Amino acid sequence: MTDTENAALLGEQTWLDLLQRRSFIELDALGRATALLDPGSVRVLAGPFDRLESPWLMPQDVTPQADDGTVIARGTVDGHPAVTAAIEQGFQGGGTGEVSGAKISQALLLAAADSRAGTPTAAVILFETGGVRLQEANLGLNAVAEICSAVLDLRPLAPVIGVVAGTVGSFGGMSIAAGLCTRLIVTPQARIGLNGPAVIEQEGGVDEFDSSDHKLVWAVTGGEQRVATALADDLVPDDADLLRASLVSAVAAGVAEPGRYRSQRLDVLASRLATLDPAEQPTPADLRRLWGSAYEPVPTPAPPDGSPARHTHPETRGRAWLGALSGGVTPEAIIPSVLSATTHDARYLAVVPDPQNRFYRAREGQVGLTESLALAQSVRDLIEADRDAERKRAIIAVVDLPSQAYGRNEEMAGLHQAMAATTDAYHAARTAGHPIVAVVVGTALSGGFLTHGLQANQILALDDPHVEIHAMHKAAAARITLRSVQQLDELAKTIVPMSYDVRDWAELGLCDGLLAVDDADAPTPGDVRKVGAAITDAIERAQHGPLDLSNRLDSEAAVTTRHASRAVRDLLARQWNPEPRP
Amino acid sequence: MQTLNYEFPATQVARRAVHIGVVASGDLEILLAPPESGEPPDRATVRVRTSVNGFDTIWHDVLERFFARATLAGRWELNDFGATPGVVNLRLRQAAESATTNGADS
Repeated sequence: MTDTENAALLGEQTWLDLLQRRSFIELDALGRATALLDPGSVRVLAGPFDRLESPWLMPQDVTPQADDGTVIARGTVDGHPAVTAAIEQGFQGGGTGEVSGAKISQALLLAAADSRAGTPTAAVILFETGGVRLQEANLGLNAVAEICSAVLDLRPLAPVIGVVAGTVGSFGGMSIAAGLCTRLIVTPQARIGLNGPAVIEQEGGVDEFDSSDHKLVWAVTGGEQRVATALADDLVPDDADLLRASLVSAVAAGVAEPGRYRSQRLDVLASRLATLDPAEQPTPADLRRLWGSAYEPVPTPAPPDGSPARHTHPETRGRAWLGALSGGVTPEAIIPSVLSATTHDARYLAVVPDPQNRFYRAREGQVGLTESLALAQSVRDLIEADRDAERKRAIIAVVDLPSQAYGRNEEMAGLHQAMAATTDAYHAARTAGHPIVAVVVGTALSGGFLTHGLQANQILALDDPHVEIHAMHKAAAARITLRSVQQLDELAKTIVPMSYDVRDWAELGLCDGLLAVDDADAPTPGDVRKVGAAITDAIERAQHGPLDLSNRLDSEAAVTTRHASRAVRDLLARQWNPEPRP
Repeated sequence: MQTLNYEFPATQVARRAVHIGVVASGDLEILLAPPESGEPPDRATVRVRTSVNGFDTIWHDVLERFFARATLAGRWELNDFGATPGVVNLRLRQAAESATTNGADS
């Protein structure tokens, strides 16, 4: 080990301190929550004896855990009321399932309600997760969207502090939630990323990312690098007392000024991305030099001389439907891979392929760094333009995307943080009164859909065999859950959230309209009229519906399919305040 | 995935409900609840849910040996993710110890 590595592991400590410390990483989820909250203040809600376990695991021969691997504990942090959500990394790699996800989002919403009622209640989320639990695929994915929304509901009222200690680290959509936090505390052992190294290697090959090279993995996603590039705030050694001290000061600092959250700083994101050219194969050390350790705009290079590269435009469903639905308006390319068309009452947005994309892992319509930024800017621009308007224009997310971008450069730059910026923008638009309608016309996979679609008030989908909504594409999901594609297909017949069939997805309670059309590839005038009318109705419903995502729990289909989420909501509400002593 | 049910005679009653362990690879969680009113105070009912099939006899032997010494009545739920008999025995003893000693819940 080099001296600098020693310094990170030790912090201000000596080796003797390190040997005598109380390790935080070695604690289980309850131990971690207990170590952070004030002694004696811990009260576990929806605990193991409430037996709110996942209903989806037993039928797949996976042993459930009685609390679904997430500990919700109320208590105080140096006297400040707080709720902790600690993810147990040992159970299913900390994967977010229907129940564990609902526990986190509902706890955040209850904290927000208390904060609104005059008792600011901070939230502490202990992220140790590989991402969405693939056995609960679509319900896990939606749970992450609801968690992100709830973080943003609470954040202006009370601090939401993320802690990533390791050893699993934070990966998948939950890292978007981490990117929304008021403050992020990490250890040198922590990692934060969107796509895990193994998944990138699987998707992009070993040249893209060698997941067996641990030094590289930590250099790209490790806690020290994240703090050195201002993608996390506090680097603390693995010591329960030091982590608690760091949390105490983060909670005491309270909420940030509006506009100052990392996920709101599009100026910083834009300047940072302008300095990054994948063709130059930047290293993690280059990134520290280019970006610095403050989350502030950096000097950007002059645009290249000569005529801009000619971008070709493959015909895709996203492009076809965006053009058709927005009528006579000529779509504007915010960047070649993000199209926008604005009518007098709505803005249509779509991510499309750009074969010349300088971020080569995002050339097939994936949501990558610059796509996330462009979407966020466009949404924020509309919010600004309609600031004083009585009737806010709708935003129609036309969704046809293969996934998020799986790449080393993307992870190094913090794709999760870029996606957090988009998520934050969509949430801001929704809560400001802009009706957000997602229309899935093709594939809507994983982090791509989380970023562009899942923050909508209303979600419509075409009833078409090529429409696919899922947490991961089939081949990859099979490899990761150690199953064959045939086994996966077989399971999907009985486990609704696992299904790749949009008609099954429509049963989850998240679908506000499944629309049969004649030609999903090249919509007929009749198709366009039909989908257009459905969008008009959806806008109308959004205008009169809740501004949060509660309709996904109150819909008719949710009452049957998401009964476990509803049970979580009811139980947490009942247990939130201690029973009065007789 | 297999669910196994066992019952053993018991002479003692757990003082409190205890929860031990995690459903992590090679580990298990145990929930022990004292008998409720209406449930026999002299029986330990054990439900094992295990991700590994075909170890019924070994489960029976490990549990029989444990309950021969720690005769603790109540409802025992074991959620197992491939723990070895040694780990199972350790977790059972942890649960019994927490349920019978004075002091706070673990």
